[in-house]
Amino acid sequence: MNRRQAISRMAILLGGTLSAPTLSAMERMGTPSVNSADFSLTETQRKILAEVAEHIIPKTNTPGAKDAGVPAFIEMMLKDCYKAPEHNSFITGLVNLEKKNFLNQNKTEQIATLKEVEKENKELMKAYSVKQIKVGDNVDKESMEGKVGVPFWRLVKELTLFGYFTSEQGVTTNFTYEPIPGKFEPIKVQKGQKVTYH
Amino acid sequence: MNINIDAIKKQTYDAIVVGSGISGGWAAKELTEKGLNVAVLERGREIKHVTGYETATKDPWDFAHRGRPDNMAAEQYWAGMRTGYTANEEHRYLFENDKENPYIEKRGGFDWLRAYHTGGKSLLWGRQSYRWNEEDFMANAKEGIGIDWPIRYKDLESWYTYVEKFAGISGQKEGLDVLPDSHFLPPMAMSAPEVHLKNAVKSKMGRPITIGRTAHLTQPAAHHTAIGRGQCQFRDKCMRGCPYGGYFSSLSATLPAAAKTKRLTMIHNAIVSEIIFDEKTQKAKGVRVIDQITKAVTEYYAKIIFLNAGAIGSTAIMMQSKSNRFPNGMGNQSDQLGRNIMDHHLGVGASATVEGFEDDFVYGRRPSGLYIPRFRNWGRDKREYVRGFGYQGGAGRGSWGRGTNMDGFGADFKAEMTQLGGWNIGFTGFGEILPNPENRFTLSPDKKDKWGLPVLEFEAEFGSNELNMRKDMANDMAEMLEAAGFKNVTTYNSTTTHIGLGIHEMGTARMGNDPKTSVLNKNNQVHEVKNVFMTDGACMTSASCVNPSLTYMALTARAADFAVSELKKKNL
Repeated sequence: MNRRQAISRMAILLGGTLSAPTLSAMERMGTPSVNSADFSLTETQRKILAEVAEHIIPKTNTPGAKDAGVPAFIEMMLKDCYKAPEHNSFITGLVNLEKKNFLNQNKTEQIATLKEVEKENKELMKAYSVKQIKVGDNVDKESMEGKVGVPFWRLVKELTLFGYFTSEQGVTTNFTYEPIPGKFEPIKVQKGQKVTYH
Repeated sequence: MNINIDAIKKQTYDAIVVGSGISGGWAAKELTEKGLNVAVLERGREIKHVTGYETATKDPWDFAHRGRPDNMAAEQYWAGMRTGYTANEEHRYLFENDKENPYIEKRGGFDWLRAYHTGGKSLLWGRQSYRWNEEDFMANAKEGIGIDWPIRYKDLESWYTYVEKFAGISGQKEGLDVLPDSHFLPPMAMSAPEVHLKNAVKSKMGRPITIGRTAHLTQPAAHHTAIGRGQCQFRDKCMRGCPYGGYFSSLSATLPAAAKTKRLTMIHNAIVSEIIFDEKTQKAKGVRVIDQITKAVTEYYAKIIFLNAGAIGSTAIMMQSKSNRFPNGMGNQSDQLGRNIMDHHLGVGASATVEGFEDDFVYGRRPSGLYIPRFRNWGRDKREYVRGFGYQGGAGRGSWGRGTNMDGFGADFKAEMTQLGGWNIGFTGFGEILPNPENRFTLSPDKKDKWGLPVLEFEAEFGSNELNMRKDMANDMAEMLEAAGFKNVTTYNSTTTHIGLGIHEMGTARMGNDPKTSVLNKNNQVHEVKNVFMTDGACMTSASCVNPSLTYMALTARAADFAVSELKKKNL
C-alpha cells in the first residue's frame, strides 16, 4: 500500500499539512485519561472562543468563522478528539482572556491582546521541549515531553483553520470546489485567481 | 472443537477460495473462467461495489470530525492509529476494529491492518504495480539468504502481462532491467517541479525517475468497460472505495468477471477455522467454517482449495489445521509455517521546499506519485548491506494548513490562506526486508478470539541489514533533492516503525524446491497436500523492494492454470 498517497490523502483532508501538535495530541488518544465528557466551557468562555475564532477568520466578502459554525466545532473537537492535557491548556487560555476582560475590549484592543497571546505562544511552544519525530512518510511529528498540553493559541488557531476550511461555507465560497475533476494535468495559474480546493 | 455433526451443513464445489482480496479475486476469476464451480468464502461482511462505498462521495463537512479519529476510535483502532490514516472517519469502515480483533506483540512490534469484507485490502491498496526483476528471484540463492525461489522471472513474465492487461496498469515504458516494463495504459502526468527533478537526477546522477505505475484506468479498454469499470476521475479518494471502478479491486474487476461465468458462489461472514484433511486420500477434502455472526459451523467440500486469506490469515488457517498426519499444522513438516514475515520498511526519506514554479499548478488530484527505482547494489554499485530500496513521492503546493505554523490572523491572513502556498517535495523509501526465520507468528496457546480461534502472537524486528539500508534511504534522497537545487532539504528516519506498517505482509509459508525447508512448491501447491494452494503474500520467499500485489496476481493466475490442468489430468 502506498503510504505517501494515503498520508497525503489525510493531509488533504486536514488542509495540506499535518500539524505536529495535533498528531501529538492524537497519539495520546489511545491512552485513557480523563473522561472527555468532563470537558465543557462556560457561557463566557464560549463567547470568548467565538470572538477569538472570528478574529482569526473574520467575515469578509466570504463568511467568517462564526458563520461557518467554527466555535461550536472547536468545542466538539476538543471534547471528542483531545484529552486532559489539551483540555487544560485550552481552558487556561480562555481563563486568561477572561481575566483580561477580553469581551469588554473593543476590536482594536482585542487584536492587540491576541497579538500578545500569539507572542506568548511562541515561548510556550519552545518551553514544551518539542522534539521532532518522524512518524511516517513525509510526516513529522513533534512530540511533547511530559503531560503538558499543546498551548491554547496553537490549538485555537489550528482548529479554527481546520473547522473553517473544511466547512461547506469555507470551502465553497473561498475556493473552486471540484469533487470530480475527471482528469489530471499540469496547469498555469495567476496569483489572486480563485484556487481549486485540494 | 466439539461439533454436532448432524447440525453441520455440507456443501460441495469444485474449488474453494478462502478470501476475496486481491489474490482471492484472481483465483475466483481464473478458476470459474476455466469451468470450475467455485465458492469464495469471505470471513467479513458483504460490501457491494458502488453502493457499499459509504464514504466515497462525502464532502469534508459530511464527516463528524471532518475525518479525524475521535478518542473512542483511536482506542479501538489502536493498530490503525499507527498508520496515521486507516482509523480516519473516511477510511475506517473498511478496516477492522483492533480491540475486537486482538493480536499479541510478543517481541518487537507488528502492525497488522486487517480488512474483513468483500474485496479485502484490494479496496484499500496503494495501487502501485511493479514487476519484479530477474535478480529479485535469484538474490536469495546468490547471497545465501533464506532459500532459493523455485521460479524465475521468465516463469512469471507472461503471467504478468496477462494480469496487467486485465487489471489495467498506467505507466511509462522505461526499458530498465531493474524495473521491467508492464503492459501499460497511458501514464499519469508529472507536475512542473517533478519534471525538473526527473531531468536533474537523470542528467546529474544518471538515475531514472518514472511516474508511479498505478492500477488505474487512464484509458479503459473494451474489456474493462464490459465489466462495468470506468475511467479514473482523479478524485484521489480511492481508499474510500471507487464508485467508478477507476482502480483495480476484486469488487471492480475480478469478482464481476467471475460472476459472469455463473459459476461463482460468494459466501460472506464465513470464517474458515481449518482445512479438513482426509487421511485416506492424503488430501484436503474441504474446510470448516464458523459464521462470524451466528457462530454456526458449516463444512464445505471441494477438489481443490485456494488459500487467499492474506499472508497472516492463510497461514493461521494452516496452523489451525491439525490432524494425525499434521500435528503441528498442515504442510508444516519444514516448520516454516509462520516464519520469515516480511514487509517493506518505510518511514525514511527526505523532503524539501521548491523555489519558483509559482505559476505552475495541477488540475485534478493524481492518485499516485513518482517512482525512483532501486539503484543500490545494482550494476556495479556495492554497499555494506544487501538488496535495495525504491522511493515513492512527489510535489505539491501548500494549502490553508500551512497557516497553523504561520504568524498572523485576520482578513489578510484569511485571504492568504485561500491562495496557493509554495511547492514542497518529498519522497519515502520502500526497502526490502530480508527473510528471517525468527520473525514469525505463532498461535497463542491459551488466548482465544470471540470465535474460539487462537489469538496470534507476533515476534518481529528489523535486522542490521534493514537498519543499515535506512541510512542510505535518507541520505540518497537528500542528495537527489539537492541535485535538483531544492531548498531546506531535510531527511527523516523513523525509529518507531514496525514490520507491518507497509501493509505488505509476506512470507510465512514460503515457496521452495525442498519440502524440508519450504511449505509450497513452484506452483504454489502445498508440498505435502497437493490440492491446497497458497497464492497470497504467504508464499513469498523474498520481498524485493517493489510493491507486491501485481506479483500476487501473476502467481495466482499461474497457479490456477496449473491447478486446473492437474485436475483435468486427474492428478488432484
